[in-house]
Amino acid sequence: MSAVAEAIGFNLIVISPTITLVITALILLFFTITIKTNETVKQVITICGILFTIFCVFLKFGLFLQNGISSYFTQKILLDEFSLFGNVLISLILLFNFIPIWESSSLLKEKTTEAIILILMSAAGFMLMIDSENLIMLFIGLEIGSISLYALAGLNRGDKLSNEASLKYFLLGSLASCILIYGVSLVYVSFAVQSVYNFALALSYVGPDVVPLTTSIGMILIFVGLLFKIAAAPFQSWAPDVYQGSPTGYVGYMASIAKVSSFIVIARLCQVSLRLMPNEFDSFFLIVVILSTIIGSVFATVQQDLKRLLAYSGVVQSGFILSGIVSGVNGTSASMFYLFTYIIQLTGIFAIFSIVNGRLSSDFLIEGIQGLIINNRFLATTFCIFMLGLAGIPLTSGFVSKFILLTNLWAYEKYLLVTILLLSTVAGFYFYLRPIWIATIEKTETPVETLKLKKTEYLLISSLAALTIFFGLVPSSLINISRWVVQSYL
Amino acid sequence: MISLAYSFIVLPIISSIFIFIIPKKRNELFRPLTIFLSLVPLGLCLYMFINQDLKSSFIVVDSISWISAYGISLFIGFSGMSFLLVTLNCLLVLLSVLSVNQTHGESKGFLGSIMLLQASVNGVFLAGDLVSLFIFFEALLIPMYFLMGIWGGENRRYATIKFILYTVFGSIFILAGTIYTGVLSYQSSGAFALDFQTIANMTFTENQSKLLFLLFTFGFLIKVPLFPLHTWLPDAHVEAPTAGSILLAGVLLKVGAYGLLRVSIPFFTLGFLEYQFLIAFLSVFGIIYGAVVAIVQIDIKKLIAYSSISHMGFVMLGISAGRYLSLEGAIIQMINHGITSGALFMLVGFLYDRRHTRRISDFGGIKKSMPLYAAIFLFTSFASIGLPGLNGFVGEFMILMGSFPTFQILSSVAAFGVVLAAIYMLWAYQRIFNGQLNNDENAVLSDLNPKEIIAVGPLLVLMLFIGIYPSFIEGYVVQDVSVIFETINIYTEVSK
Repeated sequence: MSAVAEAIGFNLIVISPTITLVITALILLFFTITIKTNETVKQVITICGILFTIFCVFLKFGLFLQNGISSYFTQKILLDEFSLFGNVLISLILLFNFIPIWESSSLLKEKTTEAIILILMSAAGFMLMIDSENLIMLFIGLEIGSISLYALAGLNRGDKLSNEASLKYFLLGSLASCILIYGVSLVYVSFAVQSVYNFALALSYVGPDVVPLTTSIGMILIFVGLLFKIAAAPFQSWAPDVYQGSPTGYVGYMASIAKVSSFIVIARLCQVSLRLMPNEFDSFFLIVVILSTIIGSVFATVQQDLKRLLAYSGVVQSGFILSGIVSGVNGTSASMFYLFTYIIQLTGIFAIFSIVNGRLSSDFLIEGIQGLIINNRFLATTFCIFMLGLAGIPLTSGFVSKFILLTNLWAYEKYLLVTILLLSTVAGFYFYLRPIWIATIEKTETPVETLKLKKTEYLLISSLAALTIFFGLVPSSLINISRWVVQSYL
Repeated sequence: MISLAYSFIVLPIISSIFIFIIPKKRNELFRPLTIFLSLVPLGLCLYMFINQDLKSSFIVVDSISWISAYGISLFIGFSGMSFLLVTLNCLLVLLSVLSVNQTHGESKGFLGSIMLLQASVNGVFLAGDLVSLFIFFEALLIPMYFLMGIWGGENRRYATIKFILYTVFGSIFILAGTIYTGVLSYQSSGAFALDFQTIANMTFTENQSKLLFLLFTFGFLIKVPLFPLHTWLPDAHVEAPTAGSILLAGVLLKVGAYGLLRVSIPFFTLGFLEYQFLIAFLSVFGIIYGAVVAIVQIDIKKLIAYSSISHMGFVMLGISAGRYLSLEGAIIQMINHGITSGALFMLVGFLYDRRHTRRISDFGGIKKSMPLYAAIFLFTSFASIGLPGLNGFVGEFMILMGSFPTFQILSSVAAFGVVLAAIYMLWAYQRIFNGQLNNDENAVLSDLNPKEIIAVGPLLVLMLFIGIYPSFIEGYVVQDVSVIFETINIYTEVSK
């Protein structure tokens, strides 16, 4: 009897972060419908919810120390290093993005809570996706998360671009989901398994030479569905439009959460099953990485809209992260470091954008950032730090992540990839330095009103910038964590 | 001793923070404070010259563990050569801050950027491993970007982007080389040990050595710059503010040559022996090309920029010859060129501040209105041409003499560079200072004020001092040169 109770208790701990997020969302919904509450109460509820989620992640960590890698709910939910890392990342994304999200949502007046609920629900969905061992579970988590994101993109209903973004994201996103679920069904057809681990087990029985065609196609389709979410070329076409059209305050959150969860799932899938698959998979990923870096770099250089520029830069960064993940275990650990630092820079940039551009507005022409150094010296400095971090200049975390990633790729003898990634770094210097030039060097004719920041915004942006520099100077601890994430595959 | 080596990197950073936190209203304080703060590292240099034995080859003084999981540590150390370059850097920073005009002197961004530039250049010269060398090599782009971008000339955007992209393009080769060396070191020792000591003890196959030499050398040669890779230099010099030009010519160009002497040649000697002739050929081509193009320039600053290409060609010829004498001459010429071209750019800056033009044809006969200036300019031109008794002669003579046994024809051709230098410098002097005072604006030009004389004076003293007593510098570079020369000797005999 106690064993059963223990089992139930364990099960609940494993999905407790997800449950906490859903419950927080429901409480907010309840308050909105029934009792008239003021903003502060809702804010406190949301913050408590997020903090409790982080606490639950700690509980999960304790469970992991006790049980090791283990599956729950009849092989549907998995507890391993990847899922813990992903949970931590998602909680951090919620925490970092809370201020821009809340500031933007409060402008929506009666829809404030709606936006917050959507965000909490999407975080819950993506957490479920990260925790999933079962491929159907993966799909469910992905859909819960994505559908909320489609709605978020269109929240500013008066804005044409926002509507367009939402519709585009929805149509293309559902197409990607269809492809993903079709892939899952093909995999199921070949081996009658849904669990990732059982799938790997089945693969190791048959050996890489006689993997059925349905499995190969199925796996490729699953990867296509996931690559769509991280905006890797040639599945990147939605990203610029969605980034441009969505309310600026939400883009940082939307971009980072979808990327984090999809990358973690891709990393796990690759680690578990890629070495058992035929060699053609390597060339598939090679093409994706090369296309991502080239298309991203080329298109980013000609963008006139900062949000589109960031979208294409995201395509390049996805190529970088993906190249590490598909090359091997040490490459994956380098990619996890890269992912962490990239999320910090991305969040910081969009926090700045949402202040400069107006939180709900859609397109952000590159001239909009002109004269930032005069309007607000603090914002201009941190903007430079984040941009230089993305470009990968030494003394920022961007350099360390590129350096260890390329080192690992070289050790794997992937010279072609190293060459292309290095060349894309040069292009990156061109397109990341252009906004810096406009923000700090170009003079404005008409003086613009100075931007006033709240104390919390100062705190958020300065701490993100400090983290960017900190991980550039003292990266050792985070690198050790990223190596811990892949330890069981070493 | 440990804390002293760090202070050359840390002190300028602290100084720049100091400058940045002073309120903007007290702008009259910025320049005195910067001058005071940049006196401190220079004072430390002098202290070390007196109290330490610096006549040594590279010694590592300290290391910090950076990425423990990969076994990467950052090392700091110095040799006689790097210490001379650090001193040159500290001196030029002080003098360029002394020489800046009113607008730049009241801008804290400008002075802070110069301090950051000083820190990163010192970092390159003091780096004891490839990773920190690369970090500082690329970090110096940020202050340079703002110096050129904000305070540059009319066409600064084009020049800045060109400068940055050229350097970054070169630096990805250095990064690739660093990574490759790290992987090789990992395969032999189990850690990404990249400090100079470990790499010196590693053995490379011929192909590895060639590839690594090419990777590193290409990156460094862009920075030197060697002939076909030089096109960023004239643009950058013309658009950069005076202080930026002084530091660019004075120390930034030395970074590339320093990298060759510290990394490419001693570690990848087989590759060096393979491509020795190619580099020497391009250097000589650059010497003649730079000099010929300098003759026809109509802008004084551009003329000096092309003369830099010619002079750095001499340095590269000396390095690529790989003889004891020529290597020694190359290092001495590096220091000399830093002093001379720094002084020339400073003088041109003084003239530009008065007249706001740099076209040679706008001047003529200003010897009458600015006699002292004319005398100083002539003196510096003589140093640049290589008149015996001044510093330029020592370096170029040693290089030509040292490289003659290796490249007889090439060094004979290179000797014409000295003649051409006399043509372009003296002709420019003649057109600017001699003749009739036709333009009224030129007639009322005021001569150098005491502040400007103080700024340029130390450089003039050094030109004379090194010209008369070159063994002072020689004493500090002997150990470095003999290490490089012995490595080359060993490999030459092996390959025979």
